[in-house]
Amino acid sequence: MTSAPPGIAVAPELPELLPAVNFGRGAVGFLRRHPAVAVGGTLLLFMLLIAVFAPYLGTVDPTALATARRTRPPSAEHWFGTDMLGRDLYSRVIYGARVSLLVGFSVAAFASVIGLAIGLVAGFVRWADAVLMRVMDGLMSIPPILLAVALMALTRGSVGNVILAITIAEIPRVSRLVRSVVLSLREQPYVDAAVAAGTRTPMIILRHILPNTIAPMTVQATYICASAMIIEAILSFIGAGTPPITPSWGNIMAEGRALWQVKPFIVFFPAVFLSLTVLSVNLLGDGWRDALDPRMAKGL
Amino acid sequence: MDRRTLLKGFAGAGTLAATGRLTAPALAQGTAARTLRFVPQANLANFDPIWGTQYVVRNASAMVWDTLYGMDEKLEPQRQMVEAEEVSADGLTWTFRLRPGLKFHDGEPVLARDVAASLERWTARDQMGLLIRAIQQELTAADDRTVKWVLKKPFPKMLLALGKISTPIAFIMPERLAKTDPFKQISEYVGSGPMRFVKDEWVPGAKAAFERFPDYAPRSEPGSWLAGGKRMLAERVEWVVMPDPATAGAALQSGEIDWWENPISDLVPLLRKNRNVAVDIADPLGNIGAFRMNHLYPPFNDVRARRAVLMAMSQEDYMRAIVGDDDNLWKPLPGFFTPGTPLYTDEGGEILKGPRKLDAAKKLLAESGYAGQPVTCLVAQDQPITKAQGDVTADLLKRLGMNVDFAAIDWGTVGARRAMKTPPGQGGWQMFHTWHSGADCINPAVAIGVRASGDKAWFGWPDVPEVEAQVTAWYEAKTPDEEKAAIGRLNKAALDDVVYAPTGFFLGYQAWRKNVSGVVKGPLPFFWGVAKSA
Amino acid sequence: MLAYVVRRVIATVPVMAVVAFFVFSLLYIAPGDPAAVIAGDQATPADVERIRQSLGLDRPFLIRFGEWVWQILHGDLGTSIFTNLPVTAMMAQRFEPTLSLMVITLTFAVGVAVPIGVLAAWKAGTWIDRVIMAFAIFGFSVPVFVIAYLLAFVFALELEWLPVQGYTPLAEGIWPWFENLILPAIALGCVYIALIARTTRAAMLEVLQQDYIRTARAKGIGQGGILFVHALKNASVPIVTVIGIGVALLIGGAVVTESVFAIPGLGRLTVDAILRRDYPLIQGLVLLFSFVYVLVNLLVDLSYTLLDPRIRY
Repeated sequence: MTSAPPGIAVAPELPELLPAVNFGRGAVGFLRRHPAVAVGGTLLLFMLLIAVFAPYLGTVDPTALATARRTRPPSAEHWFGTDMLGRDLYSRVIYGARVSLLVGFSVAAFASVIGLAIGLVAGFVRWADAVLMRVMDGLMSIPPILLAVALMALTRGSVGNVILAITIAEIPRVSRLVRSVVLSLREQPYVDAAVAAGTRTPMIILRHILPNTIAPMTVQATYICASAMIIEAILSFIGAGTPPITPSWGNIMAEGRALWQVKPFIVFFPAVFLSLTVLSVNLLGDGWRDALDPRMAKGL
Repeated sequence: MDRRTLLKGFAGAGTLAATGRLTAPALAQGTAARTLRFVPQANLANFDPIWGTQYVVRNASAMVWDTLYGMDEKLEPQRQMVEAEEVSADGLTWTFRLRPGLKFHDGEPVLARDVAASLERWTARDQMGLLIRAIQQELTAADDRTVKWVLKKPFPKMLLALGKISTPIAFIMPERLAKTDPFKQISEYVGSGPMRFVKDEWVPGAKAAFERFPDYAPRSEPGSWLAGGKRMLAERVEWVVMPDPATAGAALQSGEIDWWENPISDLVPLLRKNRNVAVDIADPLGNIGAFRMNHLYPPFNDVRARRAVLMAMSQEDYMRAIVGDDDNLWKPLPGFFTPGTPLYTDEGGEILKGPRKLDAAKKLLAESGYAGQPVTCLVAQDQPITKAQGDVTADLLKRLGMNVDFAAIDWGTVGARRAMKTPPGQGGWQMFHTWHSGADCINPAVAIGVRASGDKAWFGWPDVPEVEAQVTAWYEAKTPDEEKAAIGRLNKAALDDVVYAPTGFFLGYQAWRKNVSGVVKGPLPFFWGVAKSA
Repeated sequence: MLAYVVRRVIATVPVMAVVAFFVFSLLYIAPGDPAAVIAGDQATPADVERIRQSLGLDRPFLIRFGEWVWQILHGDLGTSIFTNLPVTAMMAQRFEPTLSLMVITLTFAVGVAVPIGVLAAWKAGTWIDRVIMAFAIFGFSVPVFVIAYLLAFVFALELEWLPVQGYTPLAEGIWPWFENLILPAIALGCVYIALIARTTRAAMLEVLQQDYIRTARAKGIGQGGILFVHALKNASVPIVTVIGIGVALLIGGAVVTESVFAIPGLGRLTVDAILRRDYPLIQGLVLLFSFVYVLVNLLVDLSYTLLDPRIRY
């Protein structure tokens, strides 16, 4: 345990050398053995399709105001009702999927890539390690929400800035994960042998390090995606998220929060969609991690 | 017995408060029952009413400090701390005589020295005060109870200045506190008002406590806003800050708080249904929503572009966005002065009346030379009023075919950015949203928004000599009719040039538990005369 | 061991220095400063500038930073720009509510999550396992404020079992203090439960495979003994680790809970301070959070020595 610094055990310690994932009787068999992946994946795919095909799903302009028809309950004309400015909630929720999913995936992608880079550098370059890890520690010690609020106050509310703010908060975790994998792998005899044989560092990274980091990183990425979507909602709740002209599930809920007792539908629908999406990502992550863990693969 | 009390009994809890619903504090039951718990409109972050000019600071300060004159319901200044005043025949010397028996919360008597020092500090920060300061010859304490103010030119609106409600109010503080630099905060909160501020219990941003000052000697007349006798009936007032309006609503329903300064109008039907809660209009002077365009840079440096926006905008949209579905809460406003007050006028307001002319507006906009450049709109997201207005504006400008650069920032940043005279694209701005309390729009002396003195004007820097000429005419008017005439011309000139765009006049509600009596309508919550029964 | 602790404490200094520098720079670059808000609507630009000068906000970065560091080394965190109160006093006022909320939330979360995680591991692969994990994941997926509103609605408004909002200091009675914290702790805890239950289950699963468990079973030790005495103890390292991580996450969630339930805690104070640009207060609070984070990590690492005798520093 002393070799692995604490702080990365969201996913439990994975062994250094991972066997290939057992796909058994093809993809279908895999999905049947790992229902979490199946359910999570399907749900997520569904949300993605909604986001992509938003304009064709019976939606209207999500920013069109109609103040005379504000806060009307769900009806045939407005399936989810209208919000405080008379905008159609169904359209806003459907288009909101775009923002929330964009935030989730972008943050996961950027944080993973940047965290990978930092973790690799920290793992290989001794002197940089100390500096980088202190900086990462410093970043980690600031609660992510507060860091995001501060960054948002620094600039202005927009989707891009939300993504930037949350990414910065999530990088340290990925970098620590990658670094720990690098550090433990560097001790392995075959890596030593490669170095002795004169293999250049980039090759070592490509051939030995990366394959072993991909697996835990993908699991970590799903958690980051889920966490980013929730943080976006909380940022909107506090008033530091995307402005309402671009609907996101977070800001729809934030606008309707004062009325939850009289007009609960404003908060209800985005809450359901957000929860289901985050649930699907979490299930996917859990299932994927279980699939990768060879002990689970024994079908306990 | 309700379920909460039952549960508490099982848990072996301590004393039950009289209402049966409160968690039982260690205070005696009697005190708890006579504590008025109030939810203010905003967080009471600081407590120096001359240094920090937010409305919430003024409202709290009105309990702790007293004034020489106070405005009554009829918007007339009446004597408060002053027993009698005298102005010399040439209008240059004002003499004020204080009432006997006025005391500060630390037991010291209120002396003319304290008054003089307080007025010095106040005139350094207040608009009208600065005008007086510019013509001041001397301000002295003739004796312990007499203050003499000698001017170089007459200032007929002196009593209005000393008794007005717009911030900063001329509160009277002990000399040692009043000697604090007006650009720095005082550190002690001692006044001569009907309530004492309990500094030990102050949790900034969460709670503030005030206790009745037993040595306060109210005037004999009945109380009327800041005038007349301020008789405190509650022993203790607690201000509880609640950032979540839904929680405040729930707490009012469950009896955990007694009085809510500004419930959102959408929750009002729910509150009305509760048989323990009463709801009524809070401030008959209401508020005026506004957005200001930057007269220095394109596109709004051309009056045609500004007028195009006014032609196309719908005050109904703005008002509904702010107050919701309740039609009692808003009125269209074809002008700049508060409806229901003597100086209200709609002269020149045709552009805002009648059906909206979107096509004509687009044509006018094109004539002004607008070619699609981005229009930076500053919208504070943390103030519900500006946030709502911002959304409506974004929609309005889009329909006009303008390219909107929506800056979703916070109120503090708006405050900083709107002061910048740099071109848009270099940190400047073309439009920002705000609002004014109705009390601040009753005459040109307090309505800073309508002034059009170019560089010296408020942000947006409108430059309309006719408006300023009419302001001077108002100041020099000798009869109410002359005043009204000047204001009428002012209104027209200001609208023709679009000094700023009024989005409408709106009111708000206040809500309280039915066991609280004496809550009145006014521009700020008045705690005297308010009692809470068991 | 003592040397280890000392080394760790010293190692926190560079971390906190990084944090301090980062936050200070961020605030310095940020547009908008408190002077405009304080000066109010009526102020002229000259007024605003005067206020800015009296607050010392117009001086260069290094001078301000140096002065602040000097102050900290003397134990003075400065004075809040808005309230004129010392930052330490303001933080001290809000400390108890947040600490109380954290403690109760953690107790509740650990108290629920560990047993259900153990149960899920014991019955791994069965429907009990699936249900428990689904339920846990669900708590992790719903935003905190939605849970908070639901709880407030059902238990406070409708059933009237608990207060809607507020905080009662411990000095005024244990039950009133606890009563105000029940709903917030449950709302906040739901998120946490998932995290801990998952880790517990995974760690337990790994331990339950081990040979010594089979030996224990062969020796006739009952299921309870196996699960809780032998297995859990050995699985506790990752569990305690994730509890430590969660403290930082909890503060974020506490901001929301404190807003919804009107608890005068540090989370709300920080967000208010950030939005108002009360620089000294923001800086002091962020330093406090990073100190707490570092402290918690240290405690977690030290706890390893108690839980796993193989670990020695």
